[in-house]
Amino acid sequence: MSAAREAFVLPIIFLTVTLLAGVELGARVSLVPPSLFSLVLGTMLLAALVRAGALAPARLLHGSRPILANANGMIVLGTLLAAAAQVLGMLTPRSGLPLFFVDVFLFVLLLNTMVAQPDRVRLLRSLAVIFGSALVLKFVVLAALAGPSGNRTARVLAALFDAATFGTITQEPHPAGAGYLAFFAIGLFLAGLAALPAARPASNRTDLQINFGR
Amino acid sequence: MREPVIRGVGLVASLAYAAAVAWLYATQPQTVAQVTGGFAAIVGAYQVDAVALADGLRFFRGGQFAEARAALARADPAERDPHVQFYIAYAYYREGWGRLYNDDALFGKGLAAVDKAIALAPGGRLVVDDPDLQMHSADELRAELQRGMTRDASDFNPLRVFRARK
Repeated sequence: MSAAREAFVLPIIFLTVTLLAGVELGARVSLVPPSLFSLVLGTMLLAALVRAGALAPARLLHGSRPILANANGMIVLGTLLAAAAQVLGMLTPRSGLPLFFVDVFLFVLLLNTMVAQPDRVRLLRSLAVIFGSALVLKFVVLAALAGPSGNRTARVLAALFDAATFGTITQEPHPAGAGYLAFFAIGLFLAGLAALPAARPASNRTDLQINFGR
Repeated sequence: MREPVIRGVGLVASLAYAAAVAWLYATQPQTVAQVTGGFAAIVGAYQVDAVALADGLRFFRGGQFAEARAALARADPAERDPHVQFYIAYAYYREGWGRLYNDDALFGKGLAAVDKAIALAPGGRLVVDDPDLQMHSADELRAELQRGMTRDASDFNPLRVFRARK
């Protein structure tokens, strides 16, 4: 990995994600820090990245590297954890049953990913699917239930749904820009994950050669 | 460029960016002016608009409090100057003060402004030497605004009508 990527590109990507994922649009724009559970999920994501070989901590922090290089590596790891926690916090609904179920869903998925130990490419694909699904759930499905309805029938149905679920499903409505911001933050985060220093393969043989037993 | 130089510059840039992100989370600015003013204040480059401040003080002394607040807000768009925030709070106090009752909404806004002034003042102590004012410290103004918003038996004292606005 080049020094420029480690010193500039990765920290800037992850800090930008940390900033964007924390923005909560509304009547008052606020920056929401990650919850404790988001930090736990972020740590699990880092562990999954390491186990899958998508992140090689030894290529960022090692006794054989100069102090300056280790400082750069530490910044990358710190900003990666902050960005991971913020992205997972951003994708979690704010209240009610969706908050509980999405937290459990993410926890189980990340735990399963850690145990399954997929390779780097499969892990990145899996993360794209997890983040995409959570984005659709929060900013499309739940937002459609929470948003102001156009006609009277839709409003009545929304009110009946709210009453039937004791108000445990409906969320605060999101401004239109929130979903776009989340989409951009997730895209940038996945690009950052793809640019992380990966673990070097154990041998120089390609997957094809290994499959054919050469 | 040599690798140590790239790494050194990258480290400084990353730390500066991280500090800026942390500052944004801590201060929660609401406008671009607050963001730019906040960063300018950190490096000591923030200045109040002297012309708008003079306009604001002139309106304030003339009893035109809404105009005074507009001019003072223009003088301190980033809300970083404790003196300007003090005058904004005082303008809310004077406009909201009433012989029979106070306007709680204006007093509430005044309280928010004086709290901002106290938070911005070094050590939380703010004293304004202005002979036109009867309250010179932010603590007095804050206490007066809080008293004005409190409901108690003294509100029904008929002698209240003889009290004077400070």
